[in-house]
Amino acid sequence: MADAAQSGAAAPGENILVAEDVTKVFPGVVANDSVSVEIRRAEIHCLLGENGAGKTTLADILYGVYRPEEGQVLLNGRPLELHSPRDAIEAGIGMVHQHFELVPPMSVIENVVIGTPAKQWLDLTEARRRLEEFFADYDVEIDPDAEVGRLSVGEQQWVEIFKTLYFGVEILILDEPTAVLTPQGIDELFRILRRMRDEGLTIILITHKLKEVMDLSDRVTVLRRGKVVGTVDTADVEQRDLARMMVGREVLMQADKAASTAGEPVLEVEEIHLGSDTGRGSLEGLSITVGSGEIVGVAGVSGNGQNALFDAVVGVRHPEAGSIRITGQDTTESAPHRIATLGVASVPADRIAQGLMMDFSVKENLVLGNQRERQFSRAGILNRGQIDTFAAESIDTFEIKTPSAAQITRTLSGGNLQKIIMARELSGQPQLIVAHQPTRGLDIAATEYVRRRLIQERDRGAGVLLMSEDLDEIFQLSDRIAVIYDGRIVAVTEPDATTLEQIGMHMAGASDTDQGSP
Amino acid sequence: MSEQVADAPQDGPRPDDHEAGAGRDPLSMLLQPGAWRLERRLHTRPVHELYATLIALAITAVIIGLLVIIVGVSPLDAFASLYEGAFGNRESALETLVQATPLILTGLCAAIAFRAGVWNIGGQGQFIAGAIGTWWVYDTFPGLPAPVLFVAMFCGAAVFGAVWATVASVLLVRYGTNEILTTVMLNFVIDSGLSWLLSGPWQANDTPYSQTERMVESTFLPRFFDDSRLHLGFALALVMAAAVHFLVRRTNLGFELRAIGVNKQAASYKGISVGATIIAVMAISGALAGLAGAGELLGLHHRINFEFGGQAVGFTGIIVALVARLHPAGVIVVAIAFAGLLNGATQMQVGTGIPAALVDVIEGVALVFVLLAAVACRYRLRKIAHHG
Ligand SMILES: Nc1ncnc2c1ncn2[C@@H]1O[C@H](COP(=O)(O)OP(=O)(O)O)[C@@H](O)[C@H]1O
Ligand SMILES: [Mg+2]
Repeated sequence: MADAAQSGAAAPGENILVAEDVTKVFPGVVANDSVSVEIRRAEIHCLLGENGAGKTTLADILYGVYRPEEGQVLLNGRPLELHSPRDAIEAGIGMVHQHFELVPPMSVIENVVIGTPAKQWLDLTEARRRLEEFFADYDVEIDPDAEVGRLSVGEQQWVEIFKTLYFGVEILILDEPTAVLTPQGIDELFRILRRMRDEGLTIILITHKLKEVMDLSDRVTVLRRGKVVGTVDTADVEQRDLARMMVGREVLMQADKAASTAGEPVLEVEEIHLGSDTGRGSLEGLSITVGSGEIVGVAGVSGNGQNALFDAVVGVRHPEAGSIRITGQDTTESAPHRIATLGVASVPADRIAQGLMMDFSVKENLVLGNQRERQFSRAGILNRGQIDTFAAESIDTFEIKTPSAAQITRTLSGGNLQKIIMARELSGQPQLIVAHQPTRGLDIAATEYVRRRLIQERDRGAGVLLMSEDLDEIFQLSDRIAVIYDGRIVAVTEPDATTLEQIGMHMAGASDTDQGSP
Repeated sequence: MSEQVADAPQDGPRPDDHEAGAGRDPLSMLLQPGAWRLERRLHTRPVHELYATLIALAITAVIIGLLVIIVGVSPLDAFASLYEGAFGNRESALETLVQATPLILTGLCAAIAFRAGVWNIGGQGQFIAGAIGTWWVYDTFPGLPAPVLFVAMFCGAAVFGAVWATVASVLLVRYGTNEILTTVMLNFVIDSGLSWLLSGPWQANDTPYSQTERMVESTFLPRFFDDSRLHLGFALALVMAAAVHFLVRRTNLGFELRAIGVNKQAASYKGISVGATIIAVMAISGALAGLAGAGELLGLHHRINFEFGGQAVGFTGIIVALVARLHPAGVIVVAIAFAGLLNGATQMQVGTGIPAALVDVIEGVALVFVLLAAVACRYRLRKIAHHG
């Protein structure tokens, strides 16, 4: 692993990689504002910060993807001129991005050797030997000949990691590696990362989850709005200190929620099947029920049918078999428009692709889908006065930060985009809310806001189907938890009656029979 | 590498994007040392678009000027005689409006479809379908009193144009057939259909030519002045431009058609029927081109012959719409400008010997630069500090 050892290498505990006053500007955003970080040899160093804090940008600078406009990077005390990731790898720095860079139809081993420099001799037998050794050594069960596209996301991540190590880097950067893992997967990753550190590897791990920082890191550097807030020894701080550094104020770590009892069912999905023709996943006989006044959380690793379930409930796709009833009415074959009129609100996972017209004004997005409602139009003609009034009210109640209602939506931040969707969807006092990843990519304040609104809606009597990959969110909000795996609900339980580990087991496909049918 | 990556579109939400609007003092930016960089604007304002379009037209004028110099004529003379022929006196100005009339309507035809993200390239065919529809009503209901007949003929034109466009939209909605291909092919189909009609069922008895009879005088569109061919069709075109503007900005259907033009996926998630909207928009688009056909027939030609549609107003309408950036008011302005070019070209040819075909070059060059400008105004040049 230390093949690429540099001359004059730092001893453990000394600085190995240093960023000095690094500034990187993107159109309209200073992503890194005079950022300085010191990474020590053989430590696990977390970069912690909210979405958009500039973590990935900093890592990309260390990895040669971007060149900073100001400042420099030092490796072992000497300035490092990186023109591309290739230079970084040659200097012993490797990185696994959030979006993997693998070739799905090729085998694991082919993916690993694919980056071999042209001048180097490609020895597949040797490569296989080393890879198998790696896997055996770290107890990772992956077949080197398996097709990468068929591996789970977690396994693909291992391939990415070993691909990097194969080239003998001594600094490994991981960008939000836990986002795609089950709790068990996270434990396994952390176990191995600790061991690698003990063997001398320097690890930089990017995350926005406090718990992971506490569990794993030796030191942590907190970023906020492109600036370094500080670097601390993890042992010296508590979770809430980090939260304060990250957000810049005290935060409530727990959403307050009273107990609730479910009323009449508002959503009854029975044994639906849906093919994967649109590339948005398939369902294999999924059943789930949501009652009024309850939040049913659907936990699962992404790609197990969440998109398909969302599409089927809102009516964008129709199941080939099975039935869907909403507030007692059969909607299996209904069009989205009709389903919406039954009082169904939907918050899609990809707000830009499925939830908004980015080139429309804020007020137009606030009425999108309701433009034919009596309130907003008569005889086919839009009632601009009413639309303006409604928009002004929504912007006010939902605290949407926009210069004006006529502002083009594209220019708003992620949190405000989500608020536009929430304002629009909650305006009609919906009976059923289907929310998919409603807080993904939002900062802590916006996340708190969205969660609070969902609980309020539940208290008002709406049924909420909440699909999320964030287990903390599922546990915080749900009255019942269902686990989706491979297009089916494999377990239904209550948050108090289960543990993170059990849910994690189900997410990985272990089903148990005592839980009863959903 | 960093320069390219910096401009790559981002898929995730960008929490700090709203700060992008904050302007900086341009002068201090200029004076600051460092490199220039092109970066994407998050938000283009209409003034940007207007400036960009004007600059594009200025560049076009320069290029055409150079071409004229190569031919050995002073560009000033050329432009002067072009202008003289287009707007130089009352007569030529009115004649320019005559030529602008069908271009406004076919320009609207393209603009409304393009707004919805539907590439209707069949304005030419729908224009001819409109003329056929007009003649069919005229031929089938000879006994109608004049006012009723006028209304019926225009309705016939609109319906025929709409139906012809609907052939393509149904294929698109039902089978996903690319509308660019189908609309272009339908142009050929109707051309053949027209030849058949003109040399068969509708051929005038008294001539050997492939043409219809001349229409009776009571069906001629009223003219505004004794000394000009400018007819009521021009007023109709202006009214239609206003109607299209109203439709797009102020109605449900307009909201929905803009929505599918911006993001079909989100539109369907929000309950807008993409298929139904496409059908409606294409029908309206085809009807507008059909009205252009009626206007030309009833206002100018009074008979259909082989030359009908020879000016290719349907195709020019596409360029008009694009140069106008799909705005109805812009369509009027650009259509008049283009008509002026057509009209002035003859004078220029007579006066300076420059071939009238130069007009095609002007249109083409203008289109290219205006489209470039449309892209360019989404960016801005900014000075960045020194690399460290
Ligand atoms: N390629 C890019 N182009 C434009 N802006 C970018 C780009 N990459 C990141 N940004 C902006 O820089 C800021 C920091 O982004 P990033 O480093 O990805 O944050 P993090 O990884 O902490 O979530 C954000 O405001 C983001 O919008
Ligand atoms: Mg990131």
